[in-house]
Amino acid sequence: MVTLEFHDPSGALDVTQPHAPRLASLAGARIGFVSNEQWQAYRMLPMIKELLEADFPDIEVLPINAFPQGNELIGSEETAALVKQSGVDAVIVANAA
Amino acid sequence: MKNAVSGLGLAPDAAMVTFPIDMFLPGSDLASLPGRKQEFYDGLTRWQPGFVKNTARAAPMLSVEGASYEDALNKANQLLLTNLWGDGLPLWPATRERVDWILRGAAFPRAHVIGKFPPRGGVTTVETCAVALAMAGGRPEYLPVLIAAVEAFLDPESNSEQLQATSGGPFPVVIVNGPIAKAIRLNSGFGCLGPDPQRPAGASIGRALRLLQQNVGGALPGIGTMAIFGAMRYTNAVFAEDEAALPQGWQPHATERHGYTPGTNSVSLVFANGVTNVRRRGAKKELPQEDALNGMWRMADFMRTPNLGALSGYEKGTPGIMLISPVVAKMMAALGWTQASIRQFLWENSRIPTQQLKRAGAPAWLEIDANPITRDSIKLDPWPITLKPENIVLVVAGGDHPTHFHWLQAHSPRVIGRVMRVPESFDGLLADADRDLGCGSDACRI
Repeated sequence: MVTLEFHDPSGALDVTQPHAPRLASLAGARIGFVSNEQWQAYRMLPMIKELLEADFPDIEVLPINAFPQGNELIGSEETAALVKQSGVDAVIVANAA
Repeated sequence: MKNAVSGLGLAPDAAMVTFPIDMFLPGSDLASLPGRKQEFYDGLTRWQPGFVKNTARAAPMLSVEGASYEDALNKANQLLLTNLWGDGLPLWPATRERVDWILRGAAFPRAHVIGKFPPRGGVTTVETCAVALAMAGGRPEYLPVLIAAVEAFLDPESNSEQLQATSGGPFPVVIVNGPIAKAIRLNSGFGCLGPDPQRPAGASIGRALRLLQQNVGGALPGIGTMAIFGAMRYTNAVFAEDEAALPQGWQPHATERHGYTPGTNSVSLVFANGVTNVRRRGAKKELPQEDALNGMWRMADFMRTPNLGALSGYEKGTPGIMLISPVVAKMMAALGWTQASIRQFLWENSRIPTQQLKRAGAPAWLEIDANPITRDSIKLDPWPITLKPENIVLVVAGGDHPTHFHWLQAHSPRVIGRVMRVPESFDGLLADADRDLGCGSDACRI
């Protein structure tokens, strides 16, 4: 019998931070959108906003354009700071390519 | 998306609501969206990542057993493919012995961290590079080129995080300058963009880089990269400039673009998304001046297209790489053309009338560009395809033949340079290569 032992080529992953905790409830929550403004986001995201507002009457969903939009802007530290300053409880990030 | 979050240091998982591509097209039917609303709500309230934390730096070892070496090798290749770590071509399993051999080409310790390979964020060490080069059939003397290329790739200014995943499928082009190119049998002549048994270095260096992109960076077709067509995905493009053939007064690419002293071993990394041949030579009794000018017009005419992928490099990147063969460079230089005048001609004559931009819907892409300089360029009529002539990359390479130019259309926010470091024992590695491959650094002539 011949044994071949060789390296896993995928490289280690270094998980350095946890995901944000989930909300206990959407009732009374403040929700924002971070959008790349592509892929029909201008049609889809308002629909999601309306659904949230219809199902959770005391929810506050910020306007779709409350934060900078576009691929070049949504990942920036400046946008992240604006999201933090806004006091939202959660964000929906959309739409991926 | 899982790649993207793990690249940020989060567990490779995310609360996602995914839809078929049809939903994302203009005029799409969004009627199914309300029926999926609970998934959005659950993502915000109930979702938990399923990934078990793994912070180990050392990659684990894999093992296969076979009735014979042939059987074990076959099983190793099957294991690599079923784990989505192969490219469909046979691979050398990266055994300890082979990786240790490759690491003789390292000027850094094996555990030296080069960075995290985007978008997945796999930790990339010198050893990780050696593993990929071992699998790709490489040799120790290729490792300095691969490490420098990886350093350039991981430079945040390269924007490889986005380019790895984008649908346009840009691939890295690694231009090598300096004496190391000839010393390690890297092609700068006939067929420099493809495999060459007499100058095999580029194929395995480029393949190793691609394996890193896929296995460490997560660029799996249709999953981690949305590259619709995926050109040059087996070996990327790794070649050398033919510095010995540069006409008098012409500078090596690395000197022009990065300011490196001639004779410096370096790489220059550009992302391209296409490779096109442009027939340059005349067909009848053209005079030399006419022949040269006609060819330049054909090149400019080809470049005069709204390559929207190049907008990200409008200010500081490049619209593309023009490959000019040694004999054509020599002929044009004799007629008075310089590197600067070639770029100036191409820049002037590849400008696009605004009316043509409008009919192609290009202004919308200019208007949404993040760079104000790029946005402002919309006022220019005719519109230059790049901010300045110096952005056009011009490299003397290819076979000594006068008939064609080559144009590698770019999608490259920057052109990233890196100086290579070689180990003290490098001359010994070259002697080993001469022994193993038999031809010396001047390739055999079959």
